[in-house]
Amino acid sequence: MAEPTPPTPPSTPAPTEAAPRHSDDSRMSRFQARGARRFRARDALISVGLTVIILVVLVGPSIRKAGEQMNPGVGRSVILLVGRPAAAIADSLGLTHITHDATAWLSPDQSLSGYPGFATPVAAIGGQAPPVTSDAFDPTTLGLPAPPRRPLTRLLVTGDSLSEPLDQYLAQKLAGKVDVIQDPHIGTAISNTFIVDWAQLAESQVAQDHPQAVVVFIGANEGFPMAGPGGVQVSCCSTEWAALYASRARRMMDTYRQQGAARVYWITVPAVREAAKQKIVRAVDAAVEVAAQPWADQVRIIDSVPVFTPGDVYRDAMPLNGTETIVRESDGIHLNDAGSDYLAGIVDGVLQRDWTLGG
Amino acid sequence: MIFPSIAFAIFFPIVLFLSWTLMPRPARWKPFILLASYVFYAAADPRFCLLLAGATLFNQLAAFVLARVKPPRQRKAIVSVAVAGDLLLLGVFKYYSFFAQQVDDVLNRLHLGLPLPLVTIALPVGISFFTFQAISYTVDVYRGVVKPASLMDFAIYLSFFPHLVAGPIVRAREFLPQLASPRDPEHVAVSAGLGLIGLGLVKKVVIADYLARAIADRVFAVPQAYGAPDVILAAYAYAAQIYCDFSGYTDMAIGLALLLGFEFPQNFDRPYRSLGFREFWRRWHMTLSRFLRDFLYIPLGGNRGGEWFRARNLMLTMLLGGLWHGAAWNFVLWGAFMGGGLVAEHFLIDHTRLHPPAWLRWIITFNLIVFGWVLFRSTSLSLIGTYLSRLTHWTAPTLWSVPVVVAVVGTVGLQLLPSGEMRTVRDRFDRVNPILMGAGLAILIVLVGATVSSQGVPPFIYFRF
Repeated sequence: MAEPTPPTPPSTPAPTEAAPRHSDDSRMSRFQARGARRFRARDALISVGLTVIILVVLVGPSIRKAGEQMNPGVGRSVILLVGRPAAAIADSLGLTHITHDATAWLSPDQSLSGYPGFATPVAAIGGQAPPVTSDAFDPTTLGLPAPPRRPLTRLLVTGDSLSEPLDQYLAQKLAGKVDVIQDPHIGTAISNTFIVDWAQLAESQVAQDHPQAVVVFIGANEGFPMAGPGGVQVSCCSTEWAALYASRARRMMDTYRQQGAARVYWITVPAVREAAKQKIVRAVDAAVEVAAQPWADQVRIIDSVPVFTPGDVYRDAMPLNGTETIVRESDGIHLNDAGSDYLAGIVDGVLQRDWTLGG
Repeated sequence: MIFPSIAFAIFFPIVLFLSWTLMPRPARWKPFILLASYVFYAAADPRFCLLLAGATLFNQLAAFVLARVKPPRQRKAIVSVAVAGDLLLLGVFKYYSFFAQQVDDVLNRLHLGLPLPLVTIALPVGISFFTFQAISYTVDVYRGVVKPASLMDFAIYLSFFPHLVAGPIVRAREFLPQLASPRDPEHVAVSAGLGLIGLGLVKKVVIADYLARAIADRVFAVPQAYGAPDVILAAYAYAAQIYCDFSGYTDMAIGLALLLGFEFPQNFDRPYRSLGFREFWRRWHMTLSRFLRDFLYIPLGGNRGGEWFRARNLMLTMLLGGLWHGAAWNFVLWGAFMGGGLVAEHFLIDHTRLHPPAWLRWIITFNLIVFGWVLFRSTSLSLIGTYLSRLTHWTAPTLWSVPVVVAVVGTVGLQLLPSGEMRTVRDRFDRVNPILMGAGLAILIVLVGATVSSQGVPPFIYFRF
C-alpha cells in the first residue's frame, strides 16, 4: 500500500477583471486539509474490482434479471452480456440463495407467493371459460332500471405509472367519504411479469384490501412478448398478442370483481405521441374492451381516448373549463397534474352513478 | 443512468479501469472520458447529447471570441449574448410549457386571442446544472478569472459524468486546472471515495426512499386524509428525505470523482445545524448558493446601495433561485419565503439588539426551514392550503412509527453533533485499507439493494430540476 503523500491542490489563476472575491468557499482542499490518506490508483482498481467480484458471487442473478426486464435495446444487451455469466457463476457457487434468505426480510415488497400468477392456467386454479351470464349485461343498456346504489367506503386505485397522480387526485376528491387505497406499481406491465406478476398482485390486493371498487389505469410499459399456446413467444402487436393480453386483463378483472361483489373501473390509455408506442396502446385498449365483455355489469371501461385524444390523435393540450390547458407530461405518454385531475373528476362522476359515496 | 443502478455498476468499473490506464496519455484519456460521459448521458435519451454538444460549442465560441476582443463594450455584448443564449436554452426546455400556460390563461381571462402554442417539451436531464456551469465558464472568461480552455477540456468540464445530471455545480476555475496535467496515480483518495459512495447509498436508498414510502409521499399526495400529527411528522420526514436524497447523490458524485482522481467542491455541510437563514444557505446546496451569489446577487448590486437595495436583491435572487428548482408557483413561493427569511434576518440584526440563545435560534431556524419544505414539496398552491389547514385537525396519528421517527431524528441529530466527533469518524474511514473498504462496500450494496422495492430505486429529487 502506498504511503500517504500530500496532494497537489488545483491551481487557480489570479483574477484579472471585476470578479467577486471571496474566501475559498468551494472547500476544494478539504480532503488535503483533513489529511485524507492517499493511495495508488491501482488500489482503487483492486478495491472496485473486489466489490464487483463479491457482488457477482452474491447477487449475480439479479444482474441478469435486471437485463431481462428491460425493453430491447443496447442497454439490455450490455446488461445481459454481463448478467448471464454473472448469474452462471453465482449459481454454480450457490451463495445466491444464502444471500437472498439472509436479506429477504429487508425487502419492502409484499410477498406474492401463494397467489397464482399468469403462468398458472385458469383451469388449474379451478376456473373455466365463463358462459354468457346476466353479468355480461348492464341493465341500463337494456332499458331496465339501474340497481339501487350501494354505499362505497373502500376504493383501490392501482396500475402502473399512469395511475399516479390520478390516485392522488381521486383520493383528494373522495377524502372524508371513501377510504382510497393508492397502490401504483411504477414500471410494471401486464405483458411483463419480471417486476410483478399482475395476476398475483391482483389476488394479493383483493385479499389484503377487500376493495368494493377498483380503478385500474395501466398500459404505459406494455408491448413485451408473451408466451402463447405451447410456450411460443408472441410479439406485440398482432391479434394473437392482443388475445393474450386480453386473457391476462380478463383474469385480473375477474379477480378484482370478486365474483360480482365489487366493481372494476378500467381506464383505457389515451393516444400517445410516439407512433411505435401508439401501436402498442391501440392493441392494449382493444384488448381491454374485449376482456371486459363477460362482466359488463361489473367491469366498466372508462374510455379516456375520446376525452383526451379524439380520433386517436395525440395532443398536448385541450380545453378544460373553457381554457386551453396542457394535460400531458413531456414524455407524451402520461397525464400531467391537470390531466390527472380532470380524469379523476370523470372517474368520480362514474363512481357516483354506481355508488353512494361515503356510506 | 442513475448511480444506484445495475447499469451504472457495470459502466463505472470499466470506465475507472480504462481511465487510469489511459490517464498518462492525455491525448487518449480526454477523448475517452468525454465519450464515456456522453454514453452516460445518452442512457437517458441519446437526443439530449446533441443539446449538450450544442451548449458546449456555443459557449466555447463565446469564450474564444471573448479572449480575442479587447473593447469592454464589445466584450460585454458578447458575454450578454452568451448568457442570454444559455438562459434561452433553459427557458425553452424547462419553462416554456409553464409560461405559455400562464400567458394563455391571462389572455383568456382578458378575452384576448393569440394564445401561445401549448406544447410539452421533454426536459433534458441535468440541463439546469450544465447550463449554469456553462454560464459560469463564459462569465469567468469574461471576468478574466479563467483563461479559455481548449474545446476538449471545456467539453469534458461540462459533461464529466459524476457531476453531469445533478451537480455539484463545479466552477471552471475549480475543474479545468485538474485537466491541465494527468491525475497522479500515486495519490488517490480511494478510501474517502469509497466511503462517500457507501454513505451516499445509505442516505438515498435506505433513509430517503424509506421516508418517502412510509410517510412523506402519502401525506403530501392527499393531506386531507391525515390529521395534524401525521401532517407535522410528514414535514419533518420530508426535510430529512430531501437532505438524504440530494446530499446522498452529491456524496456519491464526489466519491466517484475521487476514485477517478478528481476533486469537487463541497455541496452540503450539515445544513440543519444552521442558526439562521444566511447560515443555512452557506451549508445547503453550497455550489448553487455560490453561483447565485456570484452571478446574480452581486451583479444585481449585492449589499451595495443600502438595505432596501439589498432586500430587493435578496428577494430577486431567491425568487429566481426558487424558480430554478422547477416551473411551478410553489417553487416561486418557496423562493419568496427564503428571500423573506434572509431579509428579515438582516433587518433583525441591523435594527434590534436581540441576541437570543443559540438553542432558540436553532429551533426557530430549523422549524422555518421545515415550513419552507412544505411549500417546496406541495405540488400546487391549493394543496399547500389544504396541508396547512390540516394542522388544526387533531386526530390520532396513523403513520407514526419507530423507524420513521428514528430516521428523522437520526438525520437531524447527527448534524447537531460537535464537528470534532464527526471528523474523527470520517478521518478513520479515510484511512481504512481500500481493500477492506471495497469488500465492505460490496456487502453494503447487497444489504442496501435488499431494501429496494421491485420497482427499483426512485429517481433523485434533484434530477427533476
